[in-house]
Amino acid sequence: MSKDNHELIQTMFPPDGSGVKPYEWMINPTRQRQWIDKQGIFLWLAFFFTEIGAGLYFVSMFYEYKAGLVLGWLIALFLGGLIHVAYLGNPLRAWRMIMRPNTSELSRGIWVIGAFAALGFLQMVTSGGFNIVFNVIMAILCLIIISHGFTTMNVIRALPAWSSNMVLPFSIVSGVWVGQQILQLMFAITGSADLVSGMEVWAEIFFFAYFLCLVLYGWGTWHANEIGQASIKMMVNDELKIITLIGVLGLAIVLPLIFTLIMWGGQTNGFVIFLRLASIFAGDLAVRYIIMKSAVYKPLLERN
Amino acid sequence: MPRWGMVIDVKRCIACWGCTIACKEEHFLPPGVFWNRVLIGERGKYPSSSKLIYPILCNHCSDAACVEACPTGATYVREDGIVAIDDEKCVGCRACLVSCPYQQRTYYDKEVKDREYFPGQGKTEMELIGEKLYPFTLGTVIKCNFCTERLEDGMKKGQTPGVDEDATPACVNMCPVDARVFGDLDDPNSKINRMIMEHKGKQLRPEFGTEPAVYYID
Repeated sequence: MSKDNHELIQTMFPPDGSGVKPYEWMINPTRQRQWIDKQGIFLWLAFFFTEIGAGLYFVSMFYEYKAGLVLGWLIALFLGGLIHVAYLGNPLRAWRMIMRPNTSELSRGIWVIGAFAALGFLQMVTSGGFNIVFNVIMAILCLIIISHGFTTMNVIRALPAWSSNMVLPFSIVSGVWVGQQILQLMFAITGSADLVSGMEVWAEIFFFAYFLCLVLYGWGTWHANEIGQASIKMMVNDELKIITLIGVLGLAIVLPLIFTLIMWGGQTNGFVIFLRLASIFAGDLAVRYIIMKSAVYKPLLERN
Repeated sequence: MPRWGMVIDVKRCIACWGCTIACKEEHFLPPGVFWNRVLIGERGKYPSSSKLIYPILCNHCSDAACVEACPTGATYVREDGIVAIDDEKCVGCRACLVSCPYQQRTYYDKEVKDREYFPGQGKTEMELIGEKLYPFTLGTVIKCNFCTERLEDGMKKGQTPGVDEDATPACVNMCPVDARVFGDLDDPNSKINRMIMEHKGKQLRPEFGTEPAVYYID
């Protein structure tokens, strides 16, 4: 085939990476692309940073640790927020996203993040910021923000892999688990040995909750319907196989398990805590990536 | 106020792609962007298999998932049932695109804008004229609009959509076998309603629960 002909075919059969011919559009389970491919990769990162930032803020409140609050607040708002804006096609119009809180989950999220920004700032700068009322309000806001990205995905009825009941529990556990690990490392760096050792019990609980949520998510999605099964098959086959094996199995589950067993009983070590954080950081990114990447739509034509 | 809808008789469709091309011409759509497609699939297994030919387009759902997902109100259902996009309000979050179970929307970014029908040879005069006559806004989502401009212009002249060609979507006019019928779903005496009643017209994948305004007769 000549180069010109090849280019012509690339044009007629769209070069969007789908490899799908126009007459085959949506006749097979079709993967969602907008929220993970190309510019969509920003959304994957934005959800992650917003959620771990809120997770760090949430856990820091229990220890009344202002440095953790500040770091969590900054990660959630600036890192997460800026990446969100970078994803948008028309970022200068982003303010318009506050317009539809009655129907749109995205719009509701903007309101919650606005409240988190304002009240979080007040909590950080006021001397009596850690009173019970402030803490309860901020804890609720944090939990909503931690689950916001996955809630936005969960309400999309067209994608069974995202509609699973386990998506929300998983997102909350994941955000709190990574946040807790960041805080434990911060304490390890600042030399608070008792706190680090005390946090290890919670680290064990969060790790097993995270593992359980992942298993239940996979099990639930597989048993939901044939489209859910197509998503799970996609995770363990083709291009995602490596990410699932190394990222999900290795970095999100096996390595953190080994590190947790090493420190079992509160025998903590700063370097091992750092390694576990690095492992779950990359592992959680991998888990989120495959969940976003493997969501497929139901075909439009009935085959039977 | 009418509620516009369409019936497609798939037994008549010969998969000529006339609707697809007419739509592309009408809206000057860039390469790879389709507001009308003709899907070709199979049902069953050999030797009792049959070929499926389904022309598809935006269903202009009355309970549209895209409208629900839009955080700015850029996507909305008009009084006449057409699901429209206000490109001045669209922020390009693509929540509508991901939410649509029929996947009939396209994100119009620079990569799509720069595509050429004859790659490497620059845009043809026709493509350049199209960009002026029918401009799309970068970073927004585009989709079938039931040829709103034709409907509105025709109705201003006193014409009836679905009856007079100038007031009827281009895909309906182009169809050489009259597989497509356009009309008012709220008028019990309209041709479209009679066809739906007589031939038991069905929506595509009604289980999605979005109440499409496009019906199929098969």
